[in-house]
Amino acid sequence: MATLYETLQTRFSGQSIRFNPNNWLRENVTRSYWLTAWLVLIGYISGSISWSQLQNAPVQASIILGVWVLTVGYTAVASINRRHSPMTLWLKDNLYSSITNALLTLVLTLLIFSGLRAFIIYAFIAGSFSANPEVARQAAAEGGARWGAVIANMRSLMLFRFPRAETWRVWAALILIGGLTLPSLVIYRGETYRRTRIRTALTIAWLISPIIIFILLLGVRGSELIPRVNPEQAWGGLLLTMAISIFAIVASFPLGLLLALGRRSQIRGIPGWVIWPVAIGLTAWGLLTSTPDNLAAARNTLEQALSYWPLTILIFAYFFQRNFKGNVVALASTVYIESVRGVPLITVLFMSIILFPLFLPAGFEIVNTWRVMVAFALFAAAYLAENVRGGLQAIPNGQYEAADALGLSTYKKYTLIILPQALRLVIPAIVGQFIALFKDTSLVSIVGLFDLLGAANLISAQPDWLGVRREPYIFIAIIYFVGCAIMAGYSRRLEKRLGVGER
Amino acid sequence: MKGTAVNGRPFRYIKVASMSDKSPTPSSQPGGVIPFWRDIRVIGVLAQIGFLIFIVFFVGYICNNVAANIGRLGEAQFQCRDGTSSFRCAFDFLSLQSQFDIGEVSFIEYSSRDSYGDALRVGVLNTIKVSVWGIIAATLLGLVAGIARLSNNWLINNVAKWYVDLMRNTPLLVLLFFLAFGVVAGFPNIRDAIQPFGLPVFLSQRGVNIPGPVFMPSFSTWLAFLVLGLVQAQVLWVILGRQEERTGKESNRAFWAVVSFLIIIAAGWYVAGNSAENQGIMVPHALRVQNFGDLETLMANRLPVRSLGELDMALRDGSVTQDQLDEVAFRICAVRDSRSEVNLTSQLRDANIPYQVSRFRQQAQATDAYADGNCDILVANRVILAAERDGLDAPRDHLIVPVVEAPIRLSFPRIEGLNFVGGILMTPQFFTMFVGLSLYTGGFIAEIVRAGIQSVPKGQTEAARALGLSETQQLRLVVLPQALRVIIPPLTSQYLNLTKNSSLAIAVAYPDLWAVAFTTLNQSGRAFQVFVIVMGAYLLLSLIISALLNWYNQRMALVER
Repeated sequence: MATLYETLQTRFSGQSIRFNPNNWLRENVTRSYWLTAWLVLIGYISGSISWSQLQNAPVQASIILGVWVLTVGYTAVASINRRHSPMTLWLKDNLYSSITNALLTLVLTLLIFSGLRAFIIYAFIAGSFSANPEVARQAAAEGGARWGAVIANMRSLMLFRFPRAETWRVWAALILIGGLTLPSLVIYRGETYRRTRIRTALTIAWLISPIIIFILLLGVRGSELIPRVNPEQAWGGLLLTMAISIFAIVASFPLGLLLALGRRSQIRGIPGWVIWPVAIGLTAWGLLTSTPDNLAAARNTLEQALSYWPLTILIFAYFFQRNFKGNVVALASTVYIESVRGVPLITVLFMSIILFPLFLPAGFEIVNTWRVMVAFALFAAAYLAENVRGGLQAIPNGQYEAADALGLSTYKKYTLIILPQALRLVIPAIVGQFIALFKDTSLVSIVGLFDLLGAANLISAQPDWLGVRREPYIFIAIIYFVGCAIMAGYSRRLEKRLGVGER
Repeated sequence: MKGTAVNGRPFRYIKVASMSDKSPTPSSQPGGVIPFWRDIRVIGVLAQIGFLIFIVFFVGYICNNVAANIGRLGEAQFQCRDGTSSFRCAFDFLSLQSQFDIGEVSFIEYSSRDSYGDALRVGVLNTIKVSVWGIIAATLLGLVAGIARLSNNWLINNVAKWYVDLMRNTPLLVLLFFLAFGVVAGFPNIRDAIQPFGLPVFLSQRGVNIPGPVFMPSFSTWLAFLVLGLVQAQVLWVILGRQEERTGKESNRAFWAVVSFLIIIAAGWYVAGNSAENQGIMVPHALRVQNFGDLETLMANRLPVRSLGELDMALRDGSVTQDQLDEVAFRICAVRDSRSEVNLTSQLRDANIPYQVSRFRQQAQATDAYADGNCDILVANRVILAAERDGLDAPRDHLIVPVVEAPIRLSFPRIEGLNFVGGILMTPQFFTMFVGLSLYTGGFIAEIVRAGIQSVPKGQTEAARALGLSETQQLRLVVLPQALRVIIPPLTSQYLNLTKNSSLAIAVAYPDLWAVAFTTLNQSGRAFQVFVIVMGAYLLLSLIISALLNWYNQRMALVER
């Protein structure tokens, strides 16, 4: 090694280079057996991948390899020389900090390159953007994408079967949202408009806008201007996805808040001297009246055991006393939250479709769309309640006591002191929850509604676009991705503005 | 734990006010008594009574409707076996014949002649299967991606970031549909099965074939040794630890514990394999084979090589041709996918003995083929062989030779004709669910892992280094215990999510609990009962998972003082 050291010395003569190859070797190769084994493995993998890529795409792969060798060499020389340019410094810190890192960089670059190359060939080079099925079929024969399926079905993906003549209503709704958003950007920012009438008006407009949009999209029965549409048929695609998620977000919020407050409520519960006599009385009554009959009719051991069901009243009373201190509100909220959180959304949705009609009086029919929306809101409320509860728990006791000391009523205590602080704390969690909700709306396609995913599923059944599956899925995945990313970005901004974790 | 004495006096823990919004109970004010309508105790009780009345009325209203609606549905819902109708018989339909087939049945036997209850059991087992495999894979994936997120390599960091973002921002159902119809549906015919990176894994329309272990009967013996080894290693660990404490000398106890464990399981392997008298082969007397070693000698005599070890070289230099090999290879008759076959063939492979296997569906067919002289060797359990030999024309002409068995043999998938033999088959549906769930949940776990590791202050690592701990010790003793405390609670909810998300299997036709329950619901018409069963089952699963992880979390939690 000394020879290499000497060569380097003479090579960069005039400089006192304190590069010690032995140290370098120890640090990068022989420090531990694991490191050496790892290096050998990575070396083998990178070699085989480079080889296969050189055969697949010789020109591009050799360019990548050449650039890699050049930059590694350049960085190495700069490191040995201890004369870094900003570029080599960045390369050394971020890509080539050790041999393993340099090899991993190469492997990943090659893998990303081959993936991107395959995708670009599939999507753009061999793919066709023509909405003409014949042209697209030729592209498909060469292994290309048929984006025409998406383009030709764009309206279906966005609005599904919303009556063509009524499309203006969707535009009107969009314009309304846009018209509210633009001034909001100015008015809600900064202190200028705080406590002005215009800001109040805008807030009220925001609050009633969902109702207006809802009426606009649904129509009014018997009206000439905006005739009523049947949501089960007319609502679909992105429109339905948005409708469900916005309704669920708006409706679940107050419900979730109530559930959270209910679960944490500390109001004086039903005292033990009431519960125990009642429970014992009920148990005795049940054991005396129903158990003998059931025992006589029981056909197997399980049913015999079940005949003693009144005993569960006692167990229930015990837990009610111990865990909830006789608080019915807390009990009901907890049972609701935990049982909803314990079951999958898909079963809740099917329940709303199959079982819900049984809950209503005979002859009372509700459109599937409404049922699903309500199910979503009820489902989301349980999750939201847990998030809000987290925020409530984080508020120090002193805040409650201070509000009490000021003589605020319970309502004012919560609206002015507790909730503003608690909600600010859990904004990230709540937005995360809304993102999950937005993604979960795709589940309605399983229960027979045609949301974005349902509409995309339908494309492959059209004679023109038989079996086209990947392209619509990629397209809607992008839509979901953008939607979620916007929400996440907004949450980050809101967090910053409200100073979560700073104040 | 009792408080330690300070200044000779045991100090008492000060009870800190819990962080709750306990409304202060109004004390009687000096000025007078609060009127009862403003007394928070009275208001509370009144509010509760009102709430209770509301709940009772609401639930009563719904129950009333349900009763009326079910009455309209007819008494078939509650039909007993004797034809009468009673609420007692609501769940009797579970013992009716299901009359539908399930595409994937694991662990138990099931056919359409079995009952609805059996069908639901299959569904539960399938849910558990996909959840357990998904949880394992998602944890590994999340761990790798989470650590990659912290890598100082910009590229690795960003790839992991994009993976996490993609998974967190696209719906699972879209991913599943894409996998099912865009990827798995595009797998080639069995003849052109893809073999990624030359591994013994085959992707084809039948699904994914992977190598898998085959447990021999003697595995149970070995399992006993395994347990013994674990106990012994633990005991040694503790004893050496005490000795270290006593003498203050390091004794490399991890090394000794592992070595003792390895010695015991190796001995167990030998004992279990040699004491087992299960496996055997039946050969004609004329072959003059007395034990397994004779097979080697016999084959070496048939071929122009000195020992079978040189077979590969001989094949390469042309002194032995493939045709020659095929001609002299032992012809083996076996039952398809039987343990005995795997046991014998893997030993033949190890000894470099050429062989060809004819596989039959039933033992009788295999025996017939052997009796007709189509095979040199019939392989099966020795008890079976003895019984089969008695059924042959001339039992005395055939010899049963015992074969050593190993507790576990690895079985590799191979294409044979139009079928795969050996290995484990993952159906396309299972593969889709497994990959989709683990990819999706892995993205979430990655963030949890990253947050957990980042939550350990840098000072901790530095302090550990200052104490002279090695890098593994730093990780094992300082960083991981603290990170796990942050990681486990959200990890629990991710595991729960994965289990619940497995109910999306209905979209890709994997017969999990919900898919089977839905079919049951459609066939039997018992909507209520099915929903009660399904929701109960999912609640129970959630309860079990959260109880397990809560227990683990309590063990890991900070012991606060």
